[in-house]
Amino acid sequence: MTPGSTCAACVALFRRDLLLAWRRRGDIAMPVLYAVIVTTLFPFALGPDAALLSRIAGGVVLVTVLLAMLLSLDSLFRSDVEDGSLEQWMLAPQSLPLLLGAKLLAHWITSAVPLIVIAPVLASMLRFPTAAMPVLVAALLLATPLLSLLGGVLVALTAGSRRSGMLLALMLLPLCVPVVIFAAGAVAAAQDGLPFAAPIAWLGAALALALVLGPLACAAALRIAMDA
Amino acid sequence: MANWVPLWLHKLGSPPIFYRFAGIVRPWALTLAILAAAVALYGGLVLAPADYQQGDAYRIIFIHVPSAWMSLFIYGAMAVAAFVGLVWRIKIAEIVAMESAPIGAAFTFITLVTGSLWGKPMWGTWWTWDARLTSELVLLFLYIGVIGLYHSFEDRRQGARAASFLVLIGIVNVPIVHFSVNWWYTLHQGSTVRLVGPSRIDASMLWPLLTMMAATKLYYVASLFARVRAELIASEGGKEWVRAIALGEDARS
Amino acid sequence: MGRMCAADSANALIEALALSFTRQDEQVFGPLDFALHAGDIALIEGDNGSGKTTLMRILTGMLHTDEGELRFDGQPYTRDATAGHVVFLGHHLGLKSDLSARENLRFAQGLYGARPGSDIVTALAAVGLAGYEDEPVRRLSAGQKKRAALARLLILPARVWLLDEPYANLDREGIALVNTLLASHAARGGAALVTSHGAVAFAGDEPRRIRIHP
Repeated sequence: MTPGSTCAACVALFRRDLLLAWRRRGDIAMPVLYAVIVTTLFPFALGPDAALLSRIAGGVVLVTVLLAMLLSLDSLFRSDVEDGSLEQWMLAPQSLPLLLGAKLLAHWITSAVPLIVIAPVLASMLRFPTAAMPVLVAALLLATPLLSLLGGVLVALTAGSRRSGMLLALMLLPLCVPVVIFAAGAVAAAQDGLPFAAPIAWLGAALALALVLGPLACAAALRIAMDA
Repeated sequence: MANWVPLWLHKLGSPPIFYRFAGIVRPWALTLAILAAAVALYGGLVLAPADYQQGDAYRIIFIHVPSAWMSLFIYGAMAVAAFVGLVWRIKIAEIVAMESAPIGAAFTFITLVTGSLWGKPMWGTWWTWDARLTSELVLLFLYIGVIGLYHSFEDRRQGARAASFLVLIGIVNVPIVHFSVNWWYTLHQGSTVRLVGPSRIDASMLWPLLTMMAATKLYYVASLFARVRAELIASEGGKEWVRAIALGEDARS
Repeated sequence: MGRMCAADSANALIEALALSFTRQDEQVFGPLDFALHAGDIALIEGDNGSGKTTLMRILTGMLHTDEGELRFDGQPYTRDATAGHVVFLGHHLGLKSDLSARENLRFAQGLYGARPGSDIVTALAAVGLAGYEDEPVRRLSAGQKKRAALARLLILPARVWLLDEPYANLDREGIALVNTLLASHAARGGAALVTSHGAVAFAGDEPRRIRIHP
C-alpha cells in the first residue's frame, strides 16, 4: 500500500479517528451512560409493571439509541473544523466520498457499537423477552449505520453554520421516521412471534442504498458547507 | 449556463428583471386569488349541499384539501428551484426556494389544523396516526428544518445552498416516509379510518374545490413574489438598480 | 485536451485574471491580477480585513467565485487540476492536539503521499523540533505548533504552498526559518504564496509583492 493512494488515505483517516477516540476514551462512554440513564427513567415514570415495560422495551431502546447517536453525531466534524484538520483532508488528492466513508465507519465503531453492546442489557432491564433479543440486535446493527450515514450528511450541511445541536435534531429526526418504524416493526413482530423478515429486509435494502449514496451526498454537503 | 435554458428564463435570472416582472405579476395574482377564493367559498359554503353522512362538517375540506395539495405542490416547486439553484448557481432560484419554505410551512400547518378540526367530529379525536396526517406532520418538520438551516448561516447564499441540499434530501425522503408510515399504520390498526377522498365527489362540491385550488396557487405566486422582491432588495442593497429604485427613478415597478 | 502545446512551458502555476470576490454585495478584494511561476515566492500584502484569507480559501479551491478567471498550470482551476499540487497552511494549523507531531505528519503523508527522499524525523529536526517527535501537540507552545505544521510542508509532495500568515506566533529565529524553508522550496522549483499584514524582512532575494486592495 503506497502512501498517498486512496486506500492508504482512507486507512490513515480511519486509524487517526480511532486513535483519537482511544486517546479520549471518556467521550466514548458518554452516549452509553446517557442511554443507560434515559432507560432507567422509564420504569420510574411508568411504574414497575413487567407486562407494560416488556411491551414498550423494544421501542424505548431503539429511540434511546437514536437519541444517544444524535448526541455523538453533533461532534462528527466539529473538532476537525475547529483545528483546521478538515481543510487538510478535504484538500488531499483523494476521493472525498471514500474518505468520508472511512470517517463515518470510524465514527460508527466508536459511537454506535458501544450502544449496540449495551442495548441487550438495557432491554433486559425493561423485561424484554430474551427470545427476541437477536432480532433487536440485528435491527440495531442495520439501523445504526443508516442513522450514521443519514446523520453524516446533515452534520456536514451544518459544518459551516453557527449553531448545530438542536438544528441537527430538527433535521434528522423527521428523516429517521422510516428507520424507527422498520426497526421497531421488526422487534415488535419478533416479540409477538410473527415473521420479522420483511422489515429487516427493508432495513437491509435501505442500508445498501445509503452505503452508496450517503458518502456521495455527505461529500457534496460538506463542499457546500465549506464554500464560504 | 447551459444554452438549452430558454432565453426568457435566462433573462428572468437577472435580479432587476425578475424584480420588475414580479412587481407586475403580483397585484394581478393577488386580486385573482382573492376573487377566486371568494367565489370558491361562496360555492363551497353556501351553494354546495350538505353531505348526507357528515352534514355541514365536511365543508372544511374546501380549506383542508387545497392546503394539503399546496403543501406538496410548494415542496415540489421548492425542490425544482433548489435543484436549479444548486446546479447552475442561479441566485434567483435560491431565493425562490428559500422564500417558498415559509409559505409551504404555513399551508402544511393549515392542513394539520383543519385536519384535526375535521377529525374531532368525524373520528371523535383531534389527532389520529393516519398515514397522510403523519406524513404531513413530517413534512412540516422538514419545512421547519429547511428554514432553520437557512437562517443558521452567517452568509445567506451559503445558507440557501445548504438548505437547498436539505430540500433535495427531503424530496427523496418524503415518499419513503409516507410509504413507511402507511406500512406501520396497516400493521398497527385493524380498520383504517379513511380521510374523505375527493375521488367520488359531486360536481357541486368539485368546482368550489378546484376554484379554491386555483386561488391557493395564485396566492402562492403573489406571496412568493412579494417575498422574493423584499429579499432581492435586502440582498442586493448595494447594487446600482436598487439604488435607482430607492431614488425613485423606477418607483412604479 | 485542446490546449496549445506551445504555451505549456510558459504556463504559470497559478494565474489570476481580474479575480475578485463579493460577499453579500460587498467586494472583499480585487480585481486582482497575478501569476505565480515555478520558483516564485510571492508575498500578498494587505491590512487586516483586506481579504487575504478569502483569497487563500479561493486558491485552495474551497471557496468559489464567479468573478474573474483563475487557472492552474494553464487549466481551469478545478479540484482535479489542483489536487495534490497545492498544500495549505492557515490560521488553524490542522494539527490534532491529542496526537504527537510524528503521528500528525504520518497522517498527512497518508493523505497526500510522501515527498521523495523526505523523512518525518529529519523534517521535524529541520524545524527545530528534534526531541519533541512523540510529545502530544497539546503540550507544545504556540510557536512549536507552528513549526510542526511547517514540517508538514517539507514531507508532502505539493509544489505550491499557500501559507496564510506563517509568521504569526513565531520569534525572530522562527521567521528566519520560514524564509529558509521558502528559499529552498523555490530553489527546488516549487512556488509559494505567502500572506502577511506586517513588514517582513527577507534575508536573500526580495520576493515579489502583491498588494491586495479591499
